[in-house]
Amino acid sequence: MTGRARARGRARGQVLHTTSLAAAVGPPGFQSQQLGQPRLQLQPQPPPPAEGEYVGRGHPKGIPAVPEPPSEAGKLQISAGFQELSLGERGGRRRDFHDLGVNTRQAIEHVKESKTGTSGAIIKLSTNHFRLTSRPQWALYQYHINYNPQMEARRLRSALLFQHEELIGRTRVFDGTTLFLPKKLENKVTEVCSQTRNGETVKITITLTSELPPTSPTCLQFYNIIFRRLLKMMNLQQIGRNYYNPNDPISIPNHRVIIWPGFTTSILQYETSIMLCTDVSHKVLRSETVLDFMYNLYSQVEEQRFRDICAKELIGLIVLTKYNNKTYRVDDIDWDANPRCTFKKADGSEISYVDYYRMQYNQEITDLNQPVLVSQTKRKRGPGGVMPGPAVLIPELCYLTGLTDKMRSDFNVMKDLSLHTRLTPERREREVGKLINYIQQDDSVQKELRDWGLSFDSRLLSFTGRVIQAEKIHQSGRAFEYNPQFADWSKETRGAPLISVKPLDNWLLVYTRRNYDAANALVQNLFKVTPSMGIRMNKAIMIEVEDRTEAYLRTLKQKVTSDIQIVVCLLSSNRKDKYDAIKKYLCTDCPTPSQCVIARTLSKPQTIMAIATKIALQMNCKMGGELWSVEIPLKQLMIVGIDCYHDNTAGRRSVAGFVASLNQGMTRWFSRCILQDRGQELVDELKVCLQAALRAWFNCNQHLPSRIIVYRDGVGDGQLKTLFCYEVPQLLDCLKSVGKDYNPRLTVIVVKKRVNARFFAQAGGKLQNPPPGTVIDVEVTRPEWYDFFIVSQAVRSGSVSPTHYNVIYDSSALKPDHMQRLTYKLCHMYYNWPGVIRVPAPCQYAHKLAFLVGQSIHREPNLSLSDRLYYL
Amino acid sequence: MVDANLAKGECTGTIKFTPPLYKQRYQFIKDLVNKYKPKKVADLGCADCSLLWMLKFCKCIEVLAGLDICENVMKEKMHRLSPLPGDYLQPSERTLTVTLYHGSVAQKDPCMLGFDLITCIELIEHLEATELEKFPEVVFGFMAPAMVVISTPNSEFNPLLPGVTLFRHPDHKFEWDQAQFQSWALDAAGCYDYTVEFTGLGAPPPGAEDVGFCTQISVFRRKYPNTGEPINLEKPTENSYRTIFKAVYPSLKDEKYLQNAVVSEVINTAQIITRRLLDSFNSVYKEHSNGLVEMKPDFQLPRYFMRHSKNPSLAEGEKLADDRNMETYVSGNAVYIPLIKIFSIPKVNKLCGTFENLSKLITGKVALSNDGSAVVISTEHEEKENE
Repeated sequence: MTGRARARGRARGQVLHTTSLAAAVGPPGFQSQQLGQPRLQLQPQPPPPAEGEYVGRGHPKGIPAVPEPPSEAGKLQISAGFQELSLGERGGRRRDFHDLGVNTRQAIEHVKESKTGTSGAIIKLSTNHFRLTSRPQWALYQYHINYNPQMEARRLRSALLFQHEELIGRTRVFDGTTLFLPKKLENKVTEVCSQTRNGETVKITITLTSELPPTSPTCLQFYNIIFRRLLKMMNLQQIGRNYYNPNDPISIPNHRVIIWPGFTTSILQYETSIMLCTDVSHKVLRSETVLDFMYNLYSQVEEQRFRDICAKELIGLIVLTKYNNKTYRVDDIDWDANPRCTFKKADGSEISYVDYYRMQYNQEITDLNQPVLVSQTKRKRGPGGVMPGPAVLIPELCYLTGLTDKMRSDFNVMKDLSLHTRLTPERREREVGKLINYIQQDDSVQKELRDWGLSFDSRLLSFTGRVIQAEKIHQSGRAFEYNPQFADWSKETRGAPLISVKPLDNWLLVYTRRNYDAANALVQNLFKVTPSMGIRMNKAIMIEVEDRTEAYLRTLKQKVTSDIQIVVCLLSSNRKDKYDAIKKYLCTDCPTPSQCVIARTLSKPQTIMAIATKIALQMNCKMGGELWSVEIPLKQLMIVGIDCYHDNTAGRRSVAGFVASLNQGMTRWFSRCILQDRGQELVDELKVCLQAALRAWFNCNQHLPSRIIVYRDGVGDGQLKTLFCYEVPQLLDCLKSVGKDYNPRLTVIVVKKRVNARFFAQAGGKLQNPPPGTVIDVEVTRPEWYDFFIVSQAVRSGSVSPTHYNVIYDSSALKPDHMQRLTYKLCHMYYNWPGVIRVPAPCQYAHKLAFLVGQSIHREPNLSLSDRLYYL
Repeated sequence: MVDANLAKGECTGTIKFTPPLYKQRYQFIKDLVNKYKPKKVADLGCADCSLLWMLKFCKCIEVLAGLDICENVMKEKMHRLSPLPGDYLQPSERTLTVTLYHGSVAQKDPCMLGFDLITCIELIEHLEATELEKFPEVVFGFMAPAMVVISTPNSEFNPLLPGVTLFRHPDHKFEWDQAQFQSWALDAAGCYDYTVEFTGLGAPPPGAEDVGFCTQISVFRRKYPNTGEPINLEKPTENSYRTIFKAVYPSLKDEKYLQNAVVSEVINTAQIITRRLLDSFNSVYKEHSNGLVEMKPDFQLPRYFMRHSKNPSLAEGEKLADDRNMETYVSGNAVYIPLIKIFSIPKVNKLCGTFENLSKLITGKVALSNDGSAVVISTEHEEKENE
């Protein structure tokens, strides 16, 4: 709780992913039980709808992938692994982060020809994409490699194959099973013999399986593999999915933090060409080890709380090992183990951690009493491999990376970081250009590219976008225009009455003795600001409490009766436990809207009016009032927003927030939320929520909506297919079950905030952020999707990030132009921010709800609150 | 180190060494390095750089070089020799440069001069007769390192290995028996003023002791001291090798990294001291508030002297220096920690060496008092937190 009234940053561009400090760490026994369990798989998938056709990864259609595998179990396994996973560079992750081959556009009839909008002013843009070009008649040759006798080790397989350099040449990619060459071997099947170190002769069969055109999905993976190779040649260090330059670190010693500049890169098939998309990335590293961190913490907290606090701080963090270049997520701390414990090596012998690290890496472990960290391995190893056990890490040999929750909530840390990480469009373009310069200037990189017959454009892709006209803000009969550059109307609408207000007749103000003055000041200022809004207000029932959580709760239990409209709690610090306890009680046991305010925010006389205004607006929303509206031309339209919150501490429950509009103006929202068990991304009980939303809609409108548009946020990379195959049918099913004659039009749009695409407006020879309302639906969109980008928010510093919208299901027959404009309109409707935000309001509401429940309440809120924005 | 367990497969008669022989050979070198602590080590015929990778963890080595005739095999995994993120995060005291060269052991290149140890693991049997002929002159005569280790298969062992007809590997140009290897080695040693000792890895099975080790090894030591320069000057200086990889590890010897380390240590120390000070102040404050004494917001702390510290390194430091200069004090919204106090912290002291060096390194990087004698830590933020 960053002081509700201050939390406006979240609604806008920055959306800091504050993660939970909340979920209590369970008793040790509970955790260790969880450790042994395999990760939950996604739900079984029903067959996709008939129209949907999926091109499997790894193989172009119609070409048999692998020669009939011989019946030995081992070979079968390898082939199966190959089919399922396709190739990946050694150590590379095999998950499909780019949702390749999920073709959702072909089933949407009205965008088969064109998915572009038409309205708005043309704007010249450039973007962080570079075209990849290949020689004419270029093709990639894919071979399957078979060993007889069967060889297991991938290294050995490579070594044996590469003995035949004269045949296959030096330019190649091999993952142990599949070989890619830029040339065609003379024969379709070539047999050669190699010898192992032990003198064993191995017959290798090289079979051509396909000739891939530059645009084949397999080629795309191949480009990415090659590109990673290039990045390595340029001496960039891989950490996680991105590459960083260790030679120019930015050190911030005040916070013991080091930032490495680097790049995220991906090569994909875009609308008309294959392009490299690269963005600047910053890796936050810490020069202290986990053990240093533990020592430091130990000196700061009481001994009996140390383990709990330590677990809260560390679990969920990513650590980097000293001796190799691997990152791990800390899932648990084993306090009973220490570096003297032993483990079984691959050859079956037992060895202690101390001895192992000394022998293998000459790493001395000095503290023999430290606990060990436990990390669950997510990835299977090798083709068709087995799930390895959890990794055990020694705190002394691990560096912390990223920020802890504490640092994230520290304004000073974030300010110092943003100085370096927030880049203006001009700087960003320069930094991105550096990568392309490295590529063009490095001889070995150029040689590798030449050998494969590939090259990159040296300039950013330029094209045009459109800027949609600014909306008019309607507030009780008046229409306000705002400056589209700032996308903010707080000044314009100041002093104007709201659409609908709830009177403050009977309300509580709870405060501590120390904050008596602040409480009075708040009431005084509310009296000043509410009349112009049209809010009638009585003096609050003022209650003084001791500054303890139990004191607050006791007071609430005594004083909050059913006729209390809202409770305002003045808190003396941003201690989370107090906030959580208050919210939990008032959202579940005693459903009453509540507003928490940190006393400090009221301490400055020059800002108190503005703060009081914000608080008054927020309180009005929480009680069911409405602030402003924009014109929504579509009738009988219900908008749904869904977002997920993932608890990254032990237990890992997920919360899905679900909100649905109740009226034409999109000013009132119904909400529900779903709590799910760990690891599960996709909303399971959607049907229940949608049914409830339809009932609520019916109660308000006396009929059912004829159109439903779902904005689905919180979809991870690589989950699109599951979403399309599992979640969309659930929604359709639900609508079908309402009644035989009920056949509304449904649209499902996946909203993504974290994208690597950036857009720069070219204005007077300078690069600037595109203005709010910029729509991009050409060149950098994907041909197999009905997708577009909108830059809806304005940012004061750094580069704006666009939001990606992917319409995965659409029976509305709404023109793309209308879809884009409607989406932009909805970005105006978030009541906690008098301006345009980064996502449609329903997504932000769903996010708020999920966040509140996931962080503080941990239970489904009382249903009687569901028609109000109590979670703001 | 020659304690490998020899397992004899009962029915097949196959001989298997655990750990595998190639690992034993690497371990042999590693043990040698740990014993003699050479600073400059080169591996001729380094292939996929496995040995170099193992050696880069040895803390005595400052220069590591690899040479191979096949560029591709080196390139395959050469990135393993790059510094890791961790090497940058906590740069080590020593310097380390790893370089890979493409070239032949039959050619001379000045980059191989001045080494303490040169290893040729399973190399010579891959040399053509003409190359083998030049090899002693290049390695012992030209490179002339303090120590040379050469290993090669022992052909007498071959009948015990399954499936070996002529040579163990198709690329082997020859495989010597013990007598051949030893006479070649003794010749070379005699000619270039080295002593030589013979050993091996992979002991023969009981009953076949005569065949000797599976891998035979000779360890050469130069008899004359490193006169170095005068001889080297006469030698050809044109480069015949091509550098294909070079990695310079971050080290505290480099001022850039030293400065970072010092600055971060100084700020960390200052922050710890400040926090302790404020903690003890806060407990005083609490007593006051319980006694219902109103504290004015602009209340100024009295000069507060830090005398008690739980941190052993801090406490130790305190004893060392004059008490007057060690006074940490609060003025306005800032804590002043004298540099001399920070300098007395062992870690800082070790990094900087001299007080002047400390001042020089942190100037402009750390907020100092006007006269430059104390580190200033603002407490504005902390006090807010504690409200």
